[in-house]
Amino acid sequence: MCWRTWRFVLALLLLIGCGDKTEVKLSDAPPAENAPAPGKPVTGDWLVIHSLSDPEQLNPLTSSDASSSEVNQYIFESLLTREPRTLEFKPYIAEARPEISNDKLSYTFKIRRDVRFQDGRPVTGEDVLFSLKVIKCPLVNAPFLRVYFNSVVDAQLLDPYTIRFATKERYFLNESVLGQEIKILPRHYYDPDDLLKNVSVRDLLKDPSQLNENVKKFADNFNKNYNRNPMGSGPYKFHRWKTGQEIELTRDPNYWGKGKPGIDQAYIDRLKFRVVNNMDAALVRLKSGSLDYMEVLQPVQHVRGTNSERFNREFKKYEYYAPTYSYIGWNNNHPIFRDKRVRQAMTYLTDRKQIVKSVLFGLGEVVDSHIYFFRPEYDKTLRSYPFDPQKALALLNEAGWKDTDGDGVLDKVIDGKKVPLRFEIKVNSGNAVRKSVALVLLDELKKHGIAASVRELDWTIFLNDVKNHQFDAVVLGWQMSTTEPDAYQVWHSSQAANKGSNAISYKNSRVDEILELYRREFDAQKRIQMYKEFQEIIHDEQPYTFLYVAKRVSAVHRRFQGVEVFPDGLRPIDWWVPVARQKYVNTVSAQ
Amino acid sequence: MSTNPSSAASFNSAALESSSDAAATTGGLWSDVWRRFKRNPIALAGFCVVFFLALMALFADFIANDKPYYLEYRHKTYFPIFRSYIVGAKLGHWPAELLNVDFKKLEGAKAIFPPIPYRPSNINLLEPLEPPSAKHWFGTDKLGRDIMAGMIHGSRISLSIGFIAVGIAVMIGVILGAIAGYFGSWVDLVISRLFEVMLSIPTFFLLITIAALLPPSIYLTMLIIGATSWVGIGRFTRNEFLRIRNLDYVTSAIALGVSDRKVMFKHILPNALAPVIVSVVLGIAGAILVESALSFLGIGVPAELVTWGSILHEASTTTFAWWLAVFPGFAIFITVLAYYLVGEGLREVLDPRLRGLR
Amino acid sequence: MGAYLLQRTLLMVPTFIGITLIGFLIMRLAPGDPAELRAAGGLGAAAGGGISVEKRGSVDEAMAQWRAQYGLDKPLHVQYAVWMKNLLTLSFGESFRDNQSVWGKIAERLPVTVKLNFWSILVVYLVAIPLGIYSATHPNSFADQVTTLTAFVLFAVPLVWAATMAIVFICGGDFYYLFPPGGLESLDFSDNWPIWKKITDHAWHLFLPVVLLSYDGFAGLSRYMRASMLEVLRQDYVQVARAKGLQEKIVIYKHVLRNSLIPQVTILASILPGLIGGSIIIETVFSIPGLGQLGFESVLARDYPTVMALFTVSAVLTLIGILISDILLSVVDPRIVFGRRLQ
Repeated sequence: MCWRTWRFVLALLLLIGCGDKTEVKLSDAPPAENAPAPGKPVTGDWLVIHSLSDPEQLNPLTSSDASSSEVNQYIFESLLTREPRTLEFKPYIAEARPEISNDKLSYTFKIRRDVRFQDGRPVTGEDVLFSLKVIKCPLVNAPFLRVYFNSVVDAQLLDPYTIRFATKERYFLNESVLGQEIKILPRHYYDPDDLLKNVSVRDLLKDPSQLNENVKKFADNFNKNYNRNPMGSGPYKFHRWKTGQEIELTRDPNYWGKGKPGIDQAYIDRLKFRVVNNMDAALVRLKSGSLDYMEVLQPVQHVRGTNSERFNREFKKYEYYAPTYSYIGWNNNHPIFRDKRVRQAMTYLTDRKQIVKSVLFGLGEVVDSHIYFFRPEYDKTLRSYPFDPQKALALLNEAGWKDTDGDGVLDKVIDGKKVPLRFEIKVNSGNAVRKSVALVLLDELKKHGIAASVRELDWTIFLNDVKNHQFDAVVLGWQMSTTEPDAYQVWHSSQAANKGSNAISYKNSRVDEILELYRREFDAQKRIQMYKEFQEIIHDEQPYTFLYVAKRVSAVHRRFQGVEVFPDGLRPIDWWVPVARQKYVNTVSAQ
Repeated sequence: MSTNPSSAASFNSAALESSSDAAATTGGLWSDVWRRFKRNPIALAGFCVVFFLALMALFADFIANDKPYYLEYRHKTYFPIFRSYIVGAKLGHWPAELLNVDFKKLEGAKAIFPPIPYRPSNINLLEPLEPPSAKHWFGTDKLGRDIMAGMIHGSRISLSIGFIAVGIAVMIGVILGAIAGYFGSWVDLVISRLFEVMLSIPTFFLLITIAALLPPSIYLTMLIIGATSWVGIGRFTRNEFLRIRNLDYVTSAIALGVSDRKVMFKHILPNALAPVIVSVVLGIAGAILVESALSFLGIGVPAELVTWGSILHEASTTTFAWWLAVFPGFAIFITVLAYYLVGEGLREVLDPRLRGLR
Repeated sequence: MGAYLLQRTLLMVPTFIGITLIGFLIMRLAPGDPAELRAAGGLGAAAGGGISVEKRGSVDEAMAQWRAQYGLDKPLHVQYAVWMKNLLTLSFGESFRDNQSVWGKIAERLPVTVKLNFWSILVVYLVAIPLGIYSATHPNSFADQVTTLTAFVLFAVPLVWAATMAIVFICGGDFYYLFPPGGLESLDFSDNWPIWKKITDHAWHLFLPVVLLSYDGFAGLSRYMRASMLEVLRQDYVQVARAKGLQEKIVIYKHVLRNSLIPQVTILASILPGLIGGSIIIETVFSIPGLGQLGFESVLARDYPTVMALFTVSAVLTLIGILISDILLSVVDPRIVFGRRLQ
């Protein structure tokens, strides 16, 4: 209790001292209906965003959860970004897309000269180089991000504003890795003693035990002391964090990109990420005005809780697809599932359309492939497997499964022993939808003589089992991105043995070939052709039973203008509120 | 505590004839207990509820089932519910025409179904989250499963968890308490430290930790609830043993050379059981509460199993479906209340200090 | 007295070791791996769309590095020894989830849980003691029977049910909106508000949680109070006081009450350990950032240091509670000298 009191007293003193009186005036916003046309964007007002959980911490590199990247995206910037509508590369901190050498191994970026960090210091090539060094440093607590940069082996500054990266293999996504995954950190802030000054990127490739003292000191400091105070070049500055309750960002009035073409302009004065762990409580808070924006409404809430007249007067709902899909993974090494006819039968026995209608309340689409539904690479000519139990039984019979002993369960003789068609579907606890899918499947299978069972496991145990191929079947999902896909990690046979993402142990040499060639192909049209063939093979073999891509429903308070749905979802940074309808006001803001 | 001369006298004689069966002598005490218990209307009411619940749990398959009692189909009669028991015990098999059928959809069949013609696992995606109606008396959950069926079969789970968990607790508690109370000195010291350790552990937190970390299974839940709740019983037993050990009839038995084990379990234990019995009854209620809390938090219960707590869990995330919150919660409440009333009734009957006041 | 204290403190040591050992063993022996959890994107991924394809790759060496960093690859007894050593220097280590000092996280949330429990204990005592007194002084009256029955009913209402019913029916949603469905303060809570407004806001938010935490205490404590008063009332000296002609009121409030309050003190000792466990459900349902919620989340995230710390803190609190109540008992009850009741 003392700590809190002291902070409060201190805050009071500061308030008195600096004269920065940010008082809140709640003015009642007039109703939406007869509002005049919005006009040009103006600054002001606050956006209260619903956050399901507190981030673990806000260190841009060492945090591994979605909540922290949601906050950090407003604070940090990178060399390139994507044009929101076309998803094409767009230069951001860089002046233009990189120059790529003919052997496709060198990427040279020229950096804009007018970029500044939030404390006013300029952004230079030094900072970009530093940012890469931090990622590559093996003692920094970011192993999962670092793996992504495995093929980046060097970086040199050709002049203070030009940097050249060297990679060791051809991979068309390297531009994305270098352009978007390096968040530009201010060297003077994250390495005030310049400990990494004389350490080159190549030095960091060495074995960790051979690194010198400075690197160790730096890593230690970086891992420990930057969890609650991120600082970058973005339009929003970190203001404060009330643990377990809310994180507040304030708009930087001196943002370097203000008024510049091609750079995202920010209008909302404050972004508040308000933590409400319980979805029902969150909806109530939305309705009562404590929240302005819920990015994810549960299907049940969309269908039942958000359709009153009053709700529609105050909020608008947006439906769009997120690049994730759910599937049932069959262990391709399992004696029952080795036969592709059995896997196809399972897909025929899964009423995917009905699942979307009932379990997802219609908020989704059945999918038949690993590629994101809306990408050009997705093969739309694939003929979806319908729900057809008769066909399934025929296939099973063909594969040798019959009920020979009248106990209600199909069986087959494998290696001289009579084996019943019995297996276990594993799901993780904490995901009600996937659990429902498993239970629905179970029920249907039972009707046709397949004795399946469901086992719910804690997430970490579940992941462990998946990684080690200890399962018969799993219900899981993949989160992808809206940008170019790369199915290598999930489908290449080499990724099965090394505990990679090919958990079902899928192996097909033609698919392997395609996946390898694809990575080296820099022509988009050729890539689409390659993946068409890849998808056809998968469609026939059904190593997964692909389920659905879920639709996301978001709710935004109507006073916000400029709300549009893009392929990547909503972009709160674009939103603004006309002066007459602003709800929260800072009394001091000549900015 | 026991100053009742008649029971002391009868036990004296029991000690002298060391072969006598202590249970027969306690018969006198227990029928006395039952007589006095019956005079308490509230406790009796509680007992009736407990009895009724036990019946419901035992005959759940006959109250809520998707198979009929009696079926006339294609000129043959069948008794599907009984048949399912036989097949389940691997003593028989389904006739071909009844293999994996939906009994409600058999054409030209005449069937008599149980009052609630569903099993808790029957999923019906066409009727999710229906409020209570003639078809589903307590409504359905998000997968269309009938809530009333879930509650009836759920009583089996709740009661069995209650009984077995408490059974485990009694075994551990009585044995440890008896040893501590009987042998005294350093044995008592060590075991009392153990009591203190168990008391200081945040039990619920411990339960959550274990239940969340290990794969969910009701047997595990029973085990860990039992293993964390024996301390009260242990302490009562220890205190009773400490007290009774110094009574004349016991010291004479020891002097006569009766073995420790016999003295403890044949002579002392039957007299020490009074507070234990009360603890058992209250313990069952407690175990039911704990189990519902665990499944409410989403841990400890396997995915397919529908328990009272798991329905409440769904209720907390689907707040407009009030029937998911009201019915199972009420069931837990009534069960726990019934056991408490019985326990209190027993306590009043067994505690000699209060006998005078009634 | 000093010697007694010393003896008791020494006796607490083996208990303390036993507790921490149990907690440590359970966490370590349970399957599941915090390194894997980090690899898959934390707990958020479990409930969300799934594992992120992009950030996978061959993360095994990454995880091995991470484990080495936290000493998770050393043998069990070494890990325990290291942990105990840190403990004795009062350092609980850093959380796996965010590298924050564990003690810092606990200290941040401790006031919330303390506040919640303090109020509920207070409410329980304020309600239960008078109820018990009334019941004891008017035994078997209609009022007594009603209160007894109500006490039972309340005792039997499961917390999970009461909390769920509250959330469904009176916290907004489809029915009534009488209380906020969670949190400690309103969104636009400002440090600049007048004191009375801040207090009202806090009270409004804490009302339901406190009531839910305390209703079963009403039953238990009032029954206990009633029983102990009844016992005292039967004592000889009470008859003597009456025979002396003292007014009934004086008899009750001066003599009986004081003596029957004594055992109530010991109840306090048993309430302290419930501080962390008891509030888990309430804090989870009402999104209150207290120790219970921290404990639950840390268990799910396999955040060993935090879980162990919470275990230890809870154990220490309990042991202190027991010690305090024993001391209080000795002080207050002249028949008990240094923990031993005079025969």
